[in-house]
Amino acid sequence: LATLGAEVIKVEWPENMDMLRQNRFTVPPGVEPGPNSTGQFADTNAGKLGLSINVRHPKGLEAIKSLVSVSDVVIENFSSRIMTRWGLGYEELTKLRPDVVYVSMAGFGQTGRQHYFGTMGPAAQALSGLTHQSGLPGQQPAGWGWSYLDDTGGMYGAMCTLTALRHRNQTGQGQHVDLSQMITGITLTGAAFLDKSINSRESRREGYPPGNRTVWPGAPVVHNYRGPIAAPHNAFRTQQTHDGGYNDWCVIACLSDEEWTSLVNLMGGPDWAKASKYVTLEGRLEHQNEMDRGIEQWTKTIGKYDLADKCQAAGVRAMPVQSSEDRIENDPQLRHRGMFTKVKHPMLGDWKFQGAPFRLDGAKVAVKGPPPMIGEHTTKIMGDLLGVSSDELLQGYEDGVYWPETTPKFPYVQQAIDEEAKR
Amino acid sequence: MTSGNKLAGPLTGLRVLELTSEHAQFCGKLMADLGADVIKVEPPGGQETRNVGPFLEDEAHPERSLYFWHYNTSKRGVTLDLNSPNGQDIFRKLSATAGLVLESFPAGYLSDLGLGYETLAKDNTGLIMCSVTPFGQDGPWRDYQTSDLLHLAAGGQMASSGYDVEDIPDAPPIAPGGGNAWHIVSHYSYIAIMGALYHRDFTGEGQYIDVSVHEACSLTTEGAIAIYLSTGEVVRRHTGRHASADMSPGIQHATNDGGYINTTRSGSNLTPARIKVLGEWMDGYGLAQDLLDDKYQDPAVVEVSGQHFADVLKNFFANMPLVEAYEGGQELNFPWGAIRTMEEIMGDPHLQDRDFFVPVKHPELGREFIYPGPAAIYNASPWSISRRAPLIGEHNQEIFGGELGLPQADLEELKSSGVI
Repeated sequence: LATLGAEVIKVEWPENMDMLRQNRFTVPPGVEPGPNSTGQFADTNAGKLGLSINVRHPKGLEAIKSLVSVSDVVIENFSSRIMTRWGLGYEELTKLRPDVVYVSMAGFGQTGRQHYFGTMGPAAQALSGLTHQSGLPGQQPAGWGWSYLDDTGGMYGAMCTLTALRHRNQTGQGQHVDLSQMITGITLTGAAFLDKSINSRESRREGYPPGNRTVWPGAPVVHNYRGPIAAPHNAFRTQQTHDGGYNDWCVIACLSDEEWTSLVNLMGGPDWAKASKYVTLEGRLEHQNEMDRGIEQWTKTIGKYDLADKCQAAGVRAMPVQSSEDRIENDPQLRHRGMFTKVKHPMLGDWKFQGAPFRLDGAKVAVKGPPPMIGEHTTKIMGDLLGVSSDELLQGYEDGVYWPETTPKFPYVQQAIDEEAKR
Repeated sequence: MTSGNKLAGPLTGLRVLELTSEHAQFCGKLMADLGADVIKVEPPGGQETRNVGPFLEDEAHPERSLYFWHYNTSKRGVTLDLNSPNGQDIFRKLSATAGLVLESFPAGYLSDLGLGYETLAKDNTGLIMCSVTPFGQDGPWRDYQTSDLLHLAAGGQMASSGYDVEDIPDAPPIAPGGGNAWHIVSHYSYIAIMGALYHRDFTGEGQYIDVSVHEACSLTTEGAIAIYLSTGEVVRRHTGRHASADMSPGIQHATNDGGYINTTRSGSNLTPARIKVLGEWMDGYGLAQDLLDDKYQDPAVVEVSGQHFADVLKNFFANMPLVEAYEGGQELNFPWGAIRTMEEIMGDPHLQDRDFFVPVKHPELGREFIYPGPAAIYNASPWSISRRAPLIGEHNQEIFGGELGLPQADLEELKSSGVI
């Protein structure tokens, strides 16, 4: 939302910080560790303003309420009903801002008998069925190597917000949107859901999940929810470049007999590949292991980018498995499209930020600025936006409303206080 | 209607022409379930995703694809041959009534037919067009052919997902199933469209949106990019948990009834107070091992005992049934999740409380099936499935005849010449 131009105020309290501010794995060497120094927080919070305020202090609560009265939207992802307990529930806030759009993003939602169950990405993925869809058959699930439902839960938060804003623009009416992170995941398992609810097909079955294949070799040919049934459809080792070939893989998918024929020709028409057993999809499915071994003999001799280019030129669907390094350093398409924008960050220096994955009216949508340091814009927001006087602000800092009494103040926080004192 | 809710959805009044294949029909579904009048424009004979399974009772047929059914709820459907001049003419008439055209043809395809944004927006300045393509409208990979698997490879999903070498030595990077490249780009397309609608609400101006599946996927790997930028390290794949540059304690454990539980955080995130809560509960089963030892009331000891806690938990779960372990942990505020399949999700009482299981009528079959419902409950304008996916050309008469006012004789002619 900030990248799309909204004025987003991130409300925080230094004693109970955003987890990403504490992610020590993304503090670059040579940078002083701390809540303003993590790369992951930076990327996820670019272009927002930072307000530090204690909502458990009566003056802090009052200030938040004043802020709501001048805001279009309130987004929160506390455990269910925490905001209501603080006196900041939807009903209460409509008294301050009748048309407020209020989006709650608890793991299980605000209603239902298990509304108080907590989730973050991995648990939500497990409960929604997404985790079980990923892995090799007969093994424990591989799952998702990142919090897909934290990314996606956030996207649903933005979607719900913009949808409710659209409704408000049309009708003048605000509303409460009660989003469940876990349920967003079930919505993403639709084909498997209907296969169970309509065809009674169980997900615990032979050959499922089918790794990177559409059908696991030797398993019954049923649909496994990864597009059209096809073979070959797999990841293949490519020529090793570095790191023991850890990410030297390429995926190839032939979605038709013609694409398979093109692949055979591209491989130089080896005798094994010209065998009649591979001519039909049924045959290729039946002999997948042997076929994939043959293909890999060839792919191992070629670098993954070169291989993908060659395949694509011959009408064969192939792409390299790209690591984070690949996407930043080696991906010609992302470079051409300007995926990364350098923005000056007070702690991280010139930092590459990921932009939105679309262009509006031909222009790349890039982040609007660095992320806020914690409490960076407190005096500005309270003073300029809410008209709080310098004296009141200083008193608030004295009383632990805007910064915890026991937490040392960062230089920029002290500087902001000093500036107020001079006014 | 599938529920007694009489309120209109939040996107009521927005007409969408959807010309998409697997890339973005989920975006259209979201808009349709949220109240937009989404008209799916298919080629005569039906869109190719109707041939993707699974199928009703495993009988392959373009009107029996459960895949198509899921992604096309609440839409109306027409057929139209955009390669014929008559078809193009009708499409121009139709687009004059629309607020949004959502399309996923190869880059440049609609422009070549004289149906590009500039042309369509000439007499409909508020029109928004969103093009969803594998790589966007330009660039060196623009014309590369892809699939869900290919996007998850290039986008970085596979480089992060898979198994620890200790678990499976030769495991490949794994592409999670379910068609999520298309979900990911549909979410971003939806956001871009809503942003453009918001802009239009205040300015009256439409705009052209160029969305890239590859960029959307590449943006959806959470910490992998930040870790590389911060440390120069490429993440390693770990079984059932976050890829990371280093080794981390396991968070996915087997239970004694053949299930798996995911504990979200490894033991290293526990505090002394939480260790005590956990230990007391586990002690009730005689499985606390040393967790109640006083030494764990020292944060410094807790800090370095992550792997030990993970081992204690592993042993605990190995002696517990899945649901008892998961729900017991949740009652004590541990954000754990059972790894569920559709077997457990179907009929879940919490989901029933939220009216998640939605009966949808298929009148042509005289049957009713249960669909997954809304992820979010909007209190003033519901997210709800209003009808099953359209049959091929189901609304040709209603839309071309009734709404565009084409004479019956013309419709017959268009039909016999294969334009509709």
